[in-house]
Amino acid sequence: FVAFYILQYYITVILKFASVGKSCLLLQFTDKRFQPVHDLTIGVEFGARMITIDGKQIKLQIWDTAGQESFRSITRSYYRGAAGALLVYDITRRDTFNHLTTWLEDARQHSNSNMVIMLIGNKSDLESRREVKKEEGEAFAREHGLIFMETSAKTASNVEEAFINTAKEIYEKIQEGVFDINNEANGIKIGPQHAATNSSLAGGQGGQQAGGGCC
Amino acid sequence: MAAFLQWRRFVFFDRETVKDPIENGKNFILPNGISACDSGRGHIVLGDILIWFLTRSLQLSSFQAYKLRVTHLFQLKQHSILVSVGQDEHGINPLVKVWNTDKRDSGSPLCTRIFPAIPGNKPTEVSCLSVHENLNFMAIGFTDGSVVLTKGDITRDRHSKTLTLHEGNSPVTGLAFRQAGKVTHLFVVNLEKVQCYTLSVKEYPRLELDTHGCALRCSALTDPSQDSQFIVAGNECVYLYQPDERGPCFAFDGHKILVHWHRGYLLLLTQDSKSPNNKETSPTEKHVLTIYDLDNKFIAYSAAFDDIIDVLAEWGSFYILTRDGKMFVLQEKDTQTKLEMLFKKNLFVMAINLAKSQHLDKDGLSEIFRQYGDHLYVKGDHDGAIQQYIRTIGKLEPSYVIRKFLDAQRIHNLTAYLQALHRQSLANADHTTLLLNCYTKLKDSSKLEEFIKSSESEVHFDVEIAIKVLRQAGYHSHAVFLAEKHAHHEWYLKIQLEDLKNYQEALRYIGRLPFEQAETNMKHYGKTLMHHVPESTTVLLKKLCTDYHVVPCSVEGAYDLCSSGNLWLQANSEEFIPIFANNPRELHAFLEHMIKVEPFSPQGVYDTLLELRLQDWAHEQDPEKKEVLQRAALSLLRSDNTVFDKALVLCQMHSFKEGVLYLYEKGKLYQQIMHYHMQNEEYSKVVEACKHYGNQEVCLWEQALGYFARKEEDCKAYISEVLQHIDLNNLMPPLLVVQTLAHNSTATLSVIKDYLINKLQRESQQIEEDERKIRQYREETANLRSEIQELRTSAKIFQKTKCTMCNSPLELPSVHFLCGHSFHQHCFESYAESEAECPTCTPENRKVMDMLRAQDQKRDLHDHFNRQLRGSNDGFSVVADYFGRGVFNKLTLITDPPGAKAGPGSLEADLQRDLLIHTKRNV
Ligand SMILES: Nc1nc2c(ncn2[C@@H]2O[C@H](COP(=O)(O)OP(=O)(O)OP(=O)(O)O)[C@@H](O)[C@H]2O)c(=O)[nH]1
Ligand SMILES: [Mg+2]
Ligand SMILES: [Zn+2]
Ligand SMILES: [Zn+2]
Repeated sequence: FVAFYILQYYITVILKFASVGKSCLLLQFTDKRFQPVHDLTIGVEFGARMITIDGKQIKLQIWDTAGQESFRSITRSYYRGAAGALLVYDITRRDTFNHLTTWLEDARQHSNSNMVIMLIGNKSDLESRREVKKEEGEAFAREHGLIFMETSAKTASNVEEAFINTAKEIYEKIQEGVFDINNEANGIKIGPQHAATNSSLAGGQGGQQAGGGCC
Repeated sequence: MAAFLQWRRFVFFDRETVKDPIENGKNFILPNGISACDSGRGHIVLGDILIWFLTRSLQLSSFQAYKLRVTHLFQLKQHSILVSVGQDEHGINPLVKVWNTDKRDSGSPLCTRIFPAIPGNKPTEVSCLSVHENLNFMAIGFTDGSVVLTKGDITRDRHSKTLTLHEGNSPVTGLAFRQAGKVTHLFVVNLEKVQCYTLSVKEYPRLELDTHGCALRCSALTDPSQDSQFIVAGNECVYLYQPDERGPCFAFDGHKILVHWHRGYLLLLTQDSKSPNNKETSPTEKHVLTIYDLDNKFIAYSAAFDDIIDVLAEWGSFYILTRDGKMFVLQEKDTQTKLEMLFKKNLFVMAINLAKSQHLDKDGLSEIFRQYGDHLYVKGDHDGAIQQYIRTIGKLEPSYVIRKFLDAQRIHNLTAYLQALHRQSLANADHTTLLLNCYTKLKDSSKLEEFIKSSESEVHFDVEIAIKVLRQAGYHSHAVFLAEKHAHHEWYLKIQLEDLKNYQEALRYIGRLPFEQAETNMKHYGKTLMHHVPESTTVLLKKLCTDYHVVPCSVEGAYDLCSSGNLWLQANSEEFIPIFANNPRELHAFLEHMIKVEPFSPQGVYDTLLELRLQDWAHEQDPEKKEVLQRAALSLLRSDNTVFDKALVLCQMHSFKEGVLYLYEKGKLYQQIMHYHMQNEEYSKVVEACKHYGNQEVCLWEQALGYFARKEEDCKAYISEVLQHIDLNNLMPPLLVVQTLAHNSTATLSVIKDYLINKLQRESQQIEEDERKIRQYREETANLRSEIQELRTSAKIFQKTKCTMCNSPLELPSVHFLCGHSFHQHCFESYAESEAECPTCTPENRKVMDMLRAQDQKRDLHDHFNRQLRGSNDGFSVVADYFGRGVFNKLTLITDPPGAKAGPGSLEADLQRDLLIHTKRNV
């Protein structure tokens, strides 16, 4: 008998500017399709997919937050309780890249300090309209200790890799013992058989950590 | 929050003020001072002091439920059970009453249970109420923050027990039961927190879901189709919760007053933000009702109303009750109308999503895809358009799409469409042709390959057409691949040979076909193959004509068939001979092989082989080799497998002397043999032939004589030799001999002197002999005549005293004959063959009779023979036949001496002439 359990990760997808393609990335990852029409995300949406890492079934729960500045207070509360984040900018719009620093600070401040952050330069299919060089993205990531990748939600290029690599990074951290899997505020939940006993405990601790996060 | 950050807004509902059914034109007016309401089971329930029921036809009825007032109403949707909270007396003393609306008790619904709602021991105001549809749970929230749960049959006191589930400080603002499978949850929200109890687990574990709550009436539960999520409307956002975690949130701003989830829509009532200051100026509040479609992310309806009491869903519509007693109905537009609205704004993606969530049928969806496709097409987004058109496949006529893209020369798009058509097995032959043409036009051979090869399991296209198209376009290898894969052997070979000129491959292919197909194809293409790859072709032909079998005979039954049907799996080698037309070397090899392995090969094989051997022989210069070849040819002739006529012609053509002679001999054509020698002027051989075959064919001598006679050279020796034979056997009348020899200028009298003398001598002897016999016969005749005369005229006296038979003295009874013989009666009876004849004279008599009869017969025979000879086309055989029957025997000469010389002599001359004519014709 092989002990088998499901880990649940919360991964928040965050970024400042609207329309960089977060929702599209998520849709591509969960549904494998692309939506050409921009459906403004109002608030926080949500998607999930099962993946397998190291022979273990893992449910990735992904929060797609609104990019609009005005929703920041709402989305911020979702940072905590996330094990990882994808910071997305649009390679065809320099302004989305320029504001990365402020958003990174914001994210770090309101989240678990161990949160894995991946930097994503999206819309790589629009090479002709590129404003941010790949090297710039790489440099920024190196400087802030992030993983970097360019993706296209349209062609699905690297989308799978972006999410799975992030999940792998988190998984490794769990193995290293960096994350306390009994603390749900870390964004990690153990499979259903333990959920009932852990949840009440985690609930309390989550409340403590909430601190300045909410609203 | 900025108003522009909102979803698209539509007017998918028609709003109407509900009119009074009796008083025309006047608005329907609600009872005054409504404090609670709900709907379900075909009516709207209102509560003030009374409980009111409003039917669809707007009939109002009421009954007194409480003495003072009704504060809460909960109508179950699946049961005719209404639960109310109200007051019968002043002070804080809420009473729960359960009503069965199907049963009547003196005009009002039957009240099945009454109990006070008190958490613990101090009385508190009830803030909210919820009842599980299974009638086993009822939850009551209180302003002091506690929740009381009633478990068991909630309609009866005895069967249920009540406990305080929750205690807290913040007033409870919302309660909702969630049932998923066997798991029951209760969501509890107060002003500060969202929590969830699991009621299906002992001790009812609690989970805190969020650290902010909502106001009264600002929570609801979604449909099971939306996962029965708990909706909590905070001021900034609307949050959704699962029993164990937070779900998405929507930043619908504004001060929330009321939240409902009805029929897939989120109904949100907010205070009108535009008129926050109007509170002073206008007596009534302005409310904005917004109906959201969370799935498709749009606003289905939004409008401002005056001070709304509640929004209820019943009879397929939404009913808005306002404080001023009015009632509005929101009637949802039908799907088609909604779609039209979306089309007008070119919101096709939304239309598609909407159509799907409304479960529009395939036709409807296909129509949307078409319109979307058209729209994108007009915009010039051909790639996008084709994606939509592909979704119409199965409904929309393909030609509609094809024409569009063909006209625009959008081959890439067209290809995509056609591919999809094929994938769904809806392509006809034209589509296949078109698709293949597209591929070839695009020079996209990898796609082409993929198309051809990917459809392993099912073939979505007409293979033959595909082959043709590919061939025409010069994609021969693809065509060949298809042909091979689908066993279109004819096509495969045709292309391999005619286009690719890959003869070896074609040959290999044929070699793997089942016998019959291999045979026909070999006949068809054999010549071409022979021309290009002679050796291998011959090898295959050899196999085909001997022991052809295709390798895979896996099934046992099939194997049996193969082995037992061996006879059938062998081609007729003769039929393949024409294939070798220009390749005698291979033909030779083939035929040699055939007669070696197959002793009973068809005639043609031997004949052709003979011809080949003769040719070789004729062309060979080296005498030694020539000798070998000659033996080979002869042995073939001797094998008796060749057709006589053909072999003869062949031998003659190639002047193959040995062969010709052998054949003549074999065919008993002795004259021919002689003639052959005559033509070659080999005199000694002529004579030899005569000696050899003269016994069997008498006329040889005569002909030899004629031959030598005509010769101008001196060949006396031969003539005399021949004459000797003729003389010896009396083969020719002397006159003929003389006549024959008269032609010759060199033949002197001396040559025939001996013969003539000899002849004349014998002749005169014969004459003498004959004359003597004539005399003798005459005498005998005269004697007989006189005897007969005697017998006729005078009585015969039988003087005989002894029996001719036993030679003892005659005794009576006795028999006497005119011939003079007498017999004892008993002797006669025992010896005589007939009563009328004398037994002693019988043998003599019979000889005479036979002679007479034979003479008669002879005459008949001659006529008959002549007739037959003339009528027949094989005179030789007729003559031979008569020979065999002994017609020409000398016997006749004796029985009929006077005509002996002229008769048969002339007959024989006739015959010989006929014979010559006929045999000449035969040659
Ligand atoms: N060409 C291209 N377009 C993309 C890509 N990803 C997204 N888009 C387009 O960019 C627009 C915005 O995409 P969304 O995914 O809705 O952007 P978002 O980041 O979720 O925006 P907000 O929710 O408002 O924060 C849409 O019109 C998409 O079609 C991409 O990889 N390539
Ligand atoms: Mg979005
Ligand atoms: Zn006798
Ligand atoms: Zn007699």
